[in-house]
Amino acid sequence: MPEVKVSNLSKQFGSNSVLRDVTFTIAEGEFFTLLGPSGCGKSTTLACIAGLERPTGGSITIGESTFADEGRFVPPEGRNLGMVFQSYALWPHMTVAQNLAMPLKIRKIDKRRQGPLIHDALDKVGLAELKERYPHQLSGGQQQRVALARALVYSPSVLLLDEPLSNLDAQLREQARAWLKRLQEELGITTVYVTHDQVEALALSDRIAVMSRGEMVQIGTPKEIYATPATAEVAAFVGRSNFLEGRMASDAEVLLDCNGQTLRVQPGGVAVGQRVSVAIRPERLEILPPGRTAPADVNVLEADVLTSSYIGSRYEYDLRLGDQAVQVESSRPGLNGRVTLVVEPDACLLYPTVGVLSPDAEALITVTG
Amino acid sequence: MTTLSAPPQVMDPPPRYRRPLGLGRETWLQYGVLGLLALLVLAPIVPTLYQSFLDRPLYEAGGLLSADNYVRLFTEAGFGRVVLNTALFAGLTTVISLLIAVPMAVVVVRTKLPGGRVFAAAMQWPFFISSLILGFGWITMYGPAGFVSVQVREVLGAVPWNLYSIPGMALTEAVALAPIAYTFCANALRQSDASLEAAAQVCGAGPLRNLRSIVLPMLRPPIVYSSILVISMSVETLSVPLLFGQPVGIDVFSTFLYRNGLQSISPDYGVLAAASAIILVVTVSLVALQAKLLKDAQRFVSVRGKATRPRRLDLGWLRWVAVLAIAFYVVMGALIPLGGLIFRSFTLVFTPLQSPLESLTGSNYERIFTYPVYVQSIVNSLLVALIGAVLVSALSLLAVMVSRRSTFRFARTVEYLALAPQAMPGIIVGIGLFWAFAFVPFGLGGLIQGTLWALIIGFGLRALPSGFGSIAPSVMQIGRELDNAARVSGADWVRTFSRILADLLRPAFAGALILTFVTLLKEYSPAVFLGSADSNIIGTTMLELWVQGNTGSVAALATLQIAITATFVGLAGLLLKGRHDA
Repeated sequence: MPEVKVSNLSKQFGSNSVLRDVTFTIAEGEFFTLLGPSGCGKSTTLACIAGLERPTGGSITIGESTFADEGRFVPPEGRNLGMVFQSYALWPHMTVAQNLAMPLKIRKIDKRRQGPLIHDALDKVGLAELKERYPHQLSGGQQQRVALARALVYSPSVLLLDEPLSNLDAQLREQARAWLKRLQEELGITTVYVTHDQVEALALSDRIAVMSRGEMVQIGTPKEIYATPATAEVAAFVGRSNFLEGRMASDAEVLLDCNGQTLRVQPGGVAVGQRVSVAIRPERLEILPPGRTAPADVNVLEADVLTSSYIGSRYEYDLRLGDQAVQVESSRPGLNGRVTLVVEPDACLLYPTVGVLSPDAEALITVTG
Repeated sequence: MTTLSAPPQVMDPPPRYRRPLGLGRETWLQYGVLGLLALLVLAPIVPTLYQSFLDRPLYEAGGLLSADNYVRLFTEAGFGRVVLNTALFAGLTTVISLLIAVPMAVVVVRTKLPGGRVFAAAMQWPFFISSLILGFGWITMYGPAGFVSVQVREVLGAVPWNLYSIPGMALTEAVALAPIAYTFCANALRQSDASLEAAAQVCGAGPLRNLRSIVLPMLRPPIVYSSILVISMSVETLSVPLLFGQPVGIDVFSTFLYRNGLQSISPDYGVLAAASAIILVVTVSLVALQAKLLKDAQRFVSVRGKATRPRRLDLGWLRWVAVLAIAFYVVMGALIPLGGLIFRSFTLVFTPLQSPLESLTGSNYERIFTYPVYVQSIVNSLLVALIGAVLVSALSLLAVMVSRRSTFRFARTVEYLALAPQAMPGIIVGIGLFWAFAFVPFGLGGLIQGTLWALIIGFGLRALPSGFGSIAPSVMQIGRELDNAARVSGADWVRTFSRILADLLRPAFAGALILTFVTLLKEYSPAVFLGSADSNIIGTTMLELWVQGNTGSVAALATLQIAITATFVGLAGLLLKGRHDA
């Protein structure tokens, strides 16, 4: 299984630049995910790797072969990749077996070898007994697995997956996710996965590349992406965050806008006086039990409980901190009135940008009166 | 660190495709389609434009370029009057057809109407009937000596209408074109969001208020572009002006060309070409305007999450008024003229003064079947329609694939070329191709001139937009990911088409075959110039017989053409249905 190298990839539609200078390398056998909101360029990147879009600049190399470079472009049929589409794209007028036979016929593979290859591929996805069915006679989950079998039947060098789970219903999606992960580990095939679902990306990937507005924002393991988001945008998109805006009071202290309190943060090399956002994950805000005093080295915030919701495994509290609503996750039920919040300075991620949230979201977390 | 693992599976290399002269085969095919379309579309236009600036027929040597023809067109040939007539005719036609179509669309689609589905189906009739035949039918019934007119004169002492006038022509043409405006408005109404009306109802709006304040304003875009389409079609039409206007000397664009090109002893090619050029400018700008508006209008189609089933409004007793009005249009506009024409074909004399049943006869048909030329014209029509339908559908399919499903650099150009004949009046296609054949070097044009192939080219060119238009939506309905899946699996563009899309498009292709066959069978106006004694078709033969006063035989031929169309569409429908069930 070869490695995939994408360097300085760019794509323009007319004057509209949808990819700018995207660079990454995928190791052999790695499960690599392109994550981002819709319109961020992740699907275009995948289409460029597949050869369905012609990049306007940059190069794409898989193993020894260069597929796209200055003046060079190998069409999709010359790349020997496997791809699963969001709609599965099973050819509706062919049975499952005929769907799988098509790429083999195109490669002029001996009829006698075709049968076993098709059987093996369907066996891998556990659908060997459905060979003679037509796509419309299959359930969504079965169609998705047939699409995967069709992408694997000719032993492609790299597997490309374009939001393959997004058309499944929520319950099936979680099971399909676990199954897909097992299968990929068994096959050891280099896989590029595109999704806008951050939970999916965190659960499946060896590494994640977060994209935004046509640019690569951060590449890292799921843990790195979640624990140390490179930008406020990543912090907002991957997992949930409370954003508190303020001004640097010293090199490790922020004067918060919402309640005028000073918050100790990780020193981030931001000049004193500059406006900043502090991102705090809801589970890193702790509600101090009554009668306990906070340790000396943590931040202490006074807040009022607005609402509490029970979401099964834990409780979610909406609290009022000054004129802003913040979210806290806790295992403790039934809190009311004034509470004390504690948060460690290293859970307060510092970003030199303000206005991270959309005006709509901004309006929803503003508490008046 | 090295680990021992199973030997890697032998990978089958991706397939290789031949690349003649270093270019992929799709490139050859795509340029081929582009070249063929450009040749077809430019063939009638370029010689016409050239001739319009030339001081003598373009096949004579030593021609000089000047704008003289245009000057003479307006000074000597009286073209100003023609322009005025055409504008009046087209304007009136548009107004009348909208007055018929818009209320009908609203009532049929949006309200509870007894027999609504029957009426919706009935609006398809002009698809099967040529406007030439409709014209014959109207004259037979409502003309100065028509069956209905004579009857009315018996009762009232005079006929309160005159078919041989601009309003008379416009009324007939409007009856024929109203279904086009109806289709646009009805489709817009079907697609519009029913919850908008539901919202008005919840706010307390009654059915009439709802129609006036919500439904009608939403119809503005389809009304605008269907009226432009109707204007451009009435500018180019030949049948009704030829049958109604010629006898009383009312000239419009098409009859002006007809008269100057065919009926004058020494046709002035310069003036003819100048007139054609001006008419082309008018029709091209109308069609371009319509296409642009249509494109803008599509931007306003809102994307809805849930498909809501429209609740039809209840008009109460008013619905019976609506039913009567629509029935009146269908019966008086189409059924009586066509029925009368068919009845006429079985009688010797057709007048209410003497019971037609007394003179029942088969002699009208006998005359047609005893003269080989008339039989030949029926055979010719069938040949042109059959061969033409296959060629046009195949070319349309290729053009759709190239323009909508390829990364070809000139994909948009291919689409524009395939749709361009919309803006080319049949009679100008005829004149232009006539000159083009005369212009081809080495006398090659002479081999085509006057043969059925000339007609197939001319008619086929005119039918190309319908072929393209009927296949394009089906192609767009097939998800692009199906192509992409084939490409990634190793099929090149040509193979993706032949292995995957061709199978999926078979029903669309069959539909295009039927549509273009019917269109080609109805067509006749290019043949006025392109035909010869050997290549007469039903349409030109009918015109000939009409001029001779042989109205009985005209009626018989018209009946035969309707019968052929009905049989073909019926059989094709059965065949397609049979396949569907299998």
